[in-house]
Amino acid sequence: MGGFLLRKAGAALIVVFLSSIVVFIGIRALPGDPAVALGAENRDPAVMAAIRHSYGLDKPLPVQYVKWISKALRGDLGLDSRQLPVGHTIVTRLPITLELAFLAILIGTVIGVLAGVIAAVRRGKLSDHTATASALVGLSVPHFWLGLMMIIAFAVDLHWLPASGYVSFRAHPIGNLEHLLMPSLVLGTGLSAVLMRQTRSAMLNSLSADYVRTARAKGLSERVVIGKHALRNSLITVTTVVGLQLGALISGAVITEQIFVIPGFGRLTLDAVNERDYTLLQGVVLVAATGYVVVNLLVDVAYSLLNPRIRVTGATNQ
Amino acid sequence: MGFVDATSTLINPRARRRRLLRKRFLRRPLAIVGLIVALTFITCAIFAPVIAPYSASATDFNALLAHSSRHHLLGTDELGRDVLSRILWGARASIEAGVFSTLLAMTVAVPIGIIAGYYRGWVDAVIARVTDVLLAFPFLIVAVGLAAILGPSLKNATIALGIGAAPALIRVARGEALALREEDYVRAAVANGASDLRILTRHVFPNMLSTLIVQATVAIPAAIIGEAVLSFLGLGVQPPTPSWGVMLADAQSYLSQAPRLAVYPGVAIFLCSLSFNLLGDGLRDILDPRTTR
Repeated sequence: MGGFLLRKAGAALIVVFLSSIVVFIGIRALPGDPAVALGAENRDPAVMAAIRHSYGLDKPLPVQYVKWISKALRGDLGLDSRQLPVGHTIVTRLPITLELAFLAILIGTVIGVLAGVIAAVRRGKLSDHTATASALVGLSVPHFWLGLMMIIAFAVDLHWLPASGYVSFRAHPIGNLEHLLMPSLVLGTGLSAVLMRQTRSAMLNSLSADYVRTARAKGLSERVVIGKHALRNSLITVTTVVGLQLGALISGAVITEQIFVIPGFGRLTLDAVNERDYTLLQGVVLVAATGYVVVNLLVDVAYSLLNPRIRVTGATNQ
Repeated sequence: MGFVDATSTLINPRARRRRLLRKRFLRRPLAIVGLIVALTFITCAIFAPVIAPYSASATDFNALLAHSSRHHLLGTDELGRDVLSRILWGARASIEAGVFSTLLAMTVAVPIGIIAGYYRGWVDAVIARVTDVLLAFPFLIVAVGLAAILGPSLKNATIALGIGAAPALIRVARGEALALREEDYVRAAVANGASDLRILTRHVFPNMLSTLIVQATVAIPAAIIGEAVLSFLGLGVQPPTPSWGVMLADAQSYLSQAPRLAVYPGVAIFLCSLSFNLLGDGLRDILDPRTTR
């Protein structure tokens, strides 16, 4: 177990390291000289040289990288174009997106797993066909468009929910949920479609497994057989899928926050591009990539806890 | 005639397989519908200049935000442009992004995946880590970065979508190569002294083709939606070039006045990606009986 976790953590560390290099080089590939931007109107070569020197831009790239990453490790991601600390901005915006993502995962998992289990148990029946068809629709529908349609229906026509904006949970718990209901539904539907398909096929596999037959032969009730034996083993698949869907969830959060005007991490990313704020963009992308790797490491850990076989065989490769 | 047909198919196993596949395909009405709709969208994309009643940028100032009528079947937008024509023209950007990003992803991912799966060892380990790094950058983040570096355009959006689709394809190709290297005909080729290149191109690659085709039909609709997202955010197709994503972005300002402007492009995206998904599901059932759902 310890060896397995160490190997996984080591691999994750390497990936984070490589990702940080990609981010660093990517930002250096951007057009425009930061010294020119910092010097504003002043193009005097002596001033330029002084700026380059004070920001360390005259040092070789590897030196710049080590300086940047060692600062980043201490939580210092530099100052954005408004001279505000990037780390602080990210810390204030991230919880909003995390709440949105949490609600979306909750909605997606509940709907997806439930529909998947029902479809598998009632295979070939009407409920199976309905669930399978809904999943196909859920996969094909552009979610941001679903968001627009929801705004038309529930905000413009019915006035049930606010069309956009955000209030914090601490200031106004009900208002907070009202504002996040449509966005998290939008973000959750895609996840639920993927999860429904995976849960259904995982459930079909475990329902035909020997231990389920044994459980039935023992005279256990169908409820216990499905809930305790089949579902528990299918949940292993579900955990992995949620981890792998995280990338889609991050992309989804960017556009969902754009549509519903939520001042979260996703909007921050777009703002950084639109305002050509490279220090901010660099910090945002680094945090997103690191977050993705860390969550997938946690998924691997959860996976090994749920499925002892992985630990024993050492999980050679995915 | 029937007799002659039967013998020829018995003699030629390829023709027999093709016939079997066609028979299985024809038994799946949803896959056929998917194929027809997908082909319709591709036709619209190619022949938009001929089919569309108006040019995509022709404005009619006598009919701003007009409802559907004989002149404008789906009405007009805020500049008096014909919505139907813009949807037909918009199919170009979607199909282009869908097909080319998938092709790009395949060209990059398949050789890498084959090498990883066939040679295993340290090469495999290195490629696995690189794939992990690629996965750590969601396609939207890559697109955001590319738009910042190279400027927003359909080409850059397509590249970003291709990079985004690559990791999954690398894993699929790797898994297939891993299984195929154990096949008897590959071992026989090795024993015959065939070169690695010959084995990979003549034996391994052709045998994973059906899996790759299924993967492509899954990747195309994802890329079509991805293109719409990027164009909606201003990171893809630039106005005045018509694109379903751009149309939705424009419609956002008229949600209360003319909600229909937001409905039609979305329906187009939905139908287009649904058709490819239906086709993909059908092809998977036919070509890959192992994964019947």
